[in-house]
Amino acid sequence: MILAGVLLLLALILPALPLGSWQAFALDTAQFAFLLSGLALSWDLLARTGQLSLAHGAFFGLGAYTAALTAPLIGTLPSLLAGAAVAAVGSFLLGLATLRLHGMYFAIATLAFSEVMRTFVLKAGFTGGSIGMIVAPPFDGRFPLGGYYLAVTVLGLCVLVSYLVSRSRFSYAMAAIRQGEPVARVLGVPVVRVKLLAFLLSSALAGLAGGVYGMKTLFLSPYDAFSLGRAVEALVIPIFGGLYTTTGPLVGGLLLVSLETWLRLRIGEGYLVVYGVLLILAILFLPRGLVGWLSRRRGGGHA
Amino acid sequence: MLRLRGLTKRFGGLVAVNEVSLEVREGEIFAVIGPNGAGKSTLLNLICGLLRPDAGSLEFQGRDLTQAPPEVRAWHGLGRAFQIVQPFPEMSVRENLLVGALFGKPRTPMSKAKKVVEEVLELTGLAPKAETPAHELTLLEDKRLELARALCTQPRLLLLDEVMAGLRPAEAMEAVELIRKIRASGVTVLFIEHLMPVVRALADRVVVMDYGQVIAQGVYDEVAANPRVREAYLGRSA
Repeated sequence: MILAGVLLLLALILPALPLGSWQAFALDTAQFAFLLSGLALSWDLLARTGQLSLAHGAFFGLGAYTAALTAPLIGTLPSLLAGAAVAAVGSFLLGLATLRLHGMYFAIATLAFSEVMRTFVLKAGFTGGSIGMIVAPPFDGRFPLGGYYLAVTVLGLCVLVSYLVSRSRFSYAMAAIRQGEPVARVLGVPVVRVKLLAFLLSSALAGLAGGVYGMKTLFLSPYDAFSLGRAVEALVIPIFGGLYTTTGPLVGGLLLVSLETWLRLRIGEGYLVVYGVLLILAILFLPRGLVGWLSRRRGGGHA
Repeated sequence: MLRLRGLTKRFGGLVAVNEVSLEVREGEIFAVIGPNGAGKSTLLNLICGLLRPDAGSLEFQGRDLTQAPPEVRAWHGLGRAFQIVQPFPEMSVRENLLVGALFGKPRTPMSKAKKVVEEVLELTGLAPKAETPAHELTLLEDKRLELARALCTQPRLLLLDEVMAGLRPAEAMEAVELIRKIRASGVTVLFIEHLMPVVRALADRVVVMDYGQVIAQGVYDEVAANPRVREAYLGRSA
């Protein structure tokens, strides 16, 4: 948690650092890294109940489109909240339908959900369909760093929620459901309520991150906003960083996005091959992620 | 305290539990025995709510809980330890117990739950192992954990499914003492057991099941002398 505080502080002062001609690039990369880390933290929240979602790309997209469509009418901040709310409603419906599904079956159902959502946005008139839509910058472009600080805020919120949840009684319920759902029920854990609550929290945060993402790219298309690639990143980051922790997805997200960007600059064409190989190596040799590896080196501790 | 009427569960063509009616009285230790496949564990699953009956009703402390999900039954005071131990493997012993103590009764404050856990750790002799991850426990410790976790839900009626299976005689006798202590603290106990000396030592009353049906009930000596029971255990041709 101290580490998270330091990182967030760094994020706050990053725009003031004398980076010269690199500044715009650094801020852009950082903003993307923050949003993706936020998404990863939100994914991890749901994963704590044992539900491996492939719908987080869709929650992200729902948030992005909702915020983009409503921002001209109700303003930036309310539109972001609307995005979070729509993502949460989507997750509630999905959650009700998938409550009894586990493991692979759950993952496939969430995958189907994200395909349905993408097709809907693709076919609906008001979204611009496959052509995509232009998104207004946050606060009508009055603050050049507005989008950046929104991303910092969203990441801070995701870190805070993730941390508070892991400190609460809720986390025992989630871990119990993940490690043995029937036993958890017999012990009195209200499984349905806990799963739905995790779903709502997790998707609202994902939708929030998506809303800020749209205002950063200034353009949304169904292929980008609902890409399966992002759903995969949302789960790769926590697995790489350390599942069921706050530090894991946070550090994992910042590192992986930085790594990916650096490789793209150094290698250019085909950089994803190297990125993929590094990921495979990490997962092979760090089965409990960065956080698990670090805490074992320090001699045990809570992972 | 617990009243079953005509409880029936079918799996396809097999009637695993066939019109079982019985009553467990407050404060007693009640044993369910019978050959393998008699439907004992299925009966326990029906009582704790992991399975829903196809027919019949279940009443607990005057409430009809036939359709209640397992968590609601836990809140009303039904605790259950499994035959195949199922600890939460990534948690320590203490955390395992804390799940039971926190959620066994709705809105239990953390401080109260922690106190319950300490008491149960002492009672079951698990205190020295409190910080051990559950996946590192021996079978004996696993069995204790299973029992301890159920106790942490502060049940009025504790359902025990072969908690002695796999234990050495000395360990089994320790467990018998523990169950006596649990009853003395005011908890009614319903247990399934294969070890007859344990049943004889513990049970106030015994129900014998065979092919899903209750074929005899009464005190141990009465039941043991029953010709139908002997037939069920020794085989029909004997």
